[in-house]
Amino acid sequence: MLSREEWLPLARKLDWDYSYVREDEVFPEQISGRPWLPYTEWKDWEESFKTSYREYVDNQYEKDMAVYAVRDAVGRLENIQKLAAPWLNSLKVHAAALPLAEFTGVIGSLRGARFGRDSAWRTMSTFGALDEYRHTQIPLLLFHQLVRWDPQFDWAHKFYHTNNWFAVAARHFFDELTLGQNAIEFAIGTNFVLETGFTNLQFVGLASLARESSDHMFERMVTSIQTDEARHAQIGHPVLAVVMKHDPEYVQYLLDKWFWRSWRLFSILTGLSTDYLTALEQRPYSFKEFMEEWIIDQYLRVLDEFGLKKPWYWNIFEDELDIYHHMIYASAYTYRATLWFDFVIPSPAERKWLRQKYPKYWDDMNAVWEQVMERWRTVGPGAANELAVHGTAMPTFCDLCQLPLSAGTPGKNTANVLAQHGRKYIFCSEPCRWIFLREPERYANHKDLVKRVLSGEAPAQLPNLLTEYFRLTPDTWGQDVYHGAYDWLAAKKSSAA
Amino acid sequence: MARREKIICCLASDGKMYMPIPLYGFLEGDTLGLLVLAEEAETIRELSRKLQDAANLRVARSDNVDFLYQGKTIDPVFTVAQAGLQALDRFDVIRRHAP
Repeated sequence: MLSREEWLPLARKLDWDYSYVREDEVFPEQISGRPWLPYTEWKDWEESFKTSYREYVDNQYEKDMAVYAVRDAVGRLENIQKLAAPWLNSLKVHAAALPLAEFTGVIGSLRGARFGRDSAWRTMSTFGALDEYRHTQIPLLLFHQLVRWDPQFDWAHKFYHTNNWFAVAARHFFDELTLGQNAIEFAIGTNFVLETGFTNLQFVGLASLARESSDHMFERMVTSIQTDEARHAQIGHPVLAVVMKHDPEYVQYLLDKWFWRSWRLFSILTGLSTDYLTALEQRPYSFKEFMEEWIIDQYLRVLDEFGLKKPWYWNIFEDELDIYHHMIYASAYTYRATLWFDFVIPSPAERKWLRQKYPKYWDDMNAVWEQVMERWRTVGPGAANELAVHGTAMPTFCDLCQLPLSAGTPGKNTANVLAQHGRKYIFCSEPCRWIFLREPERYANHKDLVKRVLSGEAPAQLPNLLTEYFRLTPDTWGQDVYHGAYDWLAAKKSSAA
Repeated sequence: MARREKIICCLASDGKMYMPIPLYGFLEGDTLGLLVLAEEAETIRELSRKLQDAANLRVARSDNVDFLYQGKTIDPVFTVAQAGLQALDRFDVIRRHAP
């Protein structure tokens, strides 16, 4: 009988020459990815985990049991109900955005499991697909118990099945990155850029926030997920190394594109939780500090390792670290009924903290909050006055990332219009425009929300848009957690910020 | 979901029907761009006011503003048609800077 050390390499590296079909028919470029290279270029593909299926199952079983044990001990409804209200809304964001995005990761991983060019890559992708199933099922299971208590948690299942504006943006991202992607771009975009970089925001940064917020259930869940991500993320490195030898310009493009697209989405997913929806005394760092420590340093090291350049838009990106998620949060607060979770106005102490962490543009943001607070003072607090402190005009969206045109600064919004082939497009930023122009055939026919309204596909009136198109109800659409009843708001304008 | 009628006309302030011109409006100090439906015959001053009203929850109104279109300041007495604004163009309303 062969020992593990003898049979595992044989099983993992099981490739052969095809005798009755061509190699490019087994692995068509359209779905395996480009550059199309003969197997001889891939035969040295390797990753460091070298896990067997039996070991995988044993490990995953133990991890699942650990999650369930924590759920039984501290993850019951009565435990969740004790959490701070702003943090609960952070949970709602992630309950909606995470599970079915992970399910698209199953599809992308399965494509690698079939069309990856080396058997060890395909083996690892098979485990990756099983991982992503787990990352779909665990949050759906854990959040399901909360639905009867708070119907906003129903968006864990519902979110991606709606045309809510944020769901449109998230689908646009994940459809391209994971669901409809070839094996090479999936490995570089998902395994390399997203999973070795940005998922740290979700699974390390948020785990830390959850611990500080005494949400041990969420902390355990995302920590458990991160151990899987760390393993199957290893697919990206060796794929990138092979493609680098043959088409470094293409690699540079894929990294620049997916870094930007990931930044756009995750600055919202994590930035809002870190700087607004976690109680001030429980914030161990700002979103920008976390980005600098966990994403930027690591990403630049990897670029250097492969002889790649910083993205051309790096200065724009660094500037956005100071402002983008703040622009989005203030915009979203004033259109909170378009979302499925509730918001808070940053208190004077929080605005003081934000000024310390983000001195560059905070004056501009503070002016916006002062104006919002003035409206609450005018109409008075109370649930009945929610819509009196809410936007009424149609917000606008980027034709690439599908997110609100909230880039730049309050002083200078960077949205720009492109007229092409008889149509007009608008982009929130130069990098979004650049990505569009690199692959217009991929993006040109997708309608952003404004164009859906103008063409009659979506209702023009806000109440109809919320209920018919976004599938929200007065019970589930976002409100101010305190309906404007803040102790500090009743007093005269604060000078703390 | 059933397909709706396209937005083909609106009721103007004088009671007449008109073809709205959808525009992307950006008010200095605001955190996002807004869709503004303009009338060909309305003045640039009225259009500026329309954007300021739409953004008033976040930015205080001001009479001391300029209207920018394609990098140029537009005279507030011009109509939308005279200024040459086309559907899905961008315009900006900015605080007037001292000369």
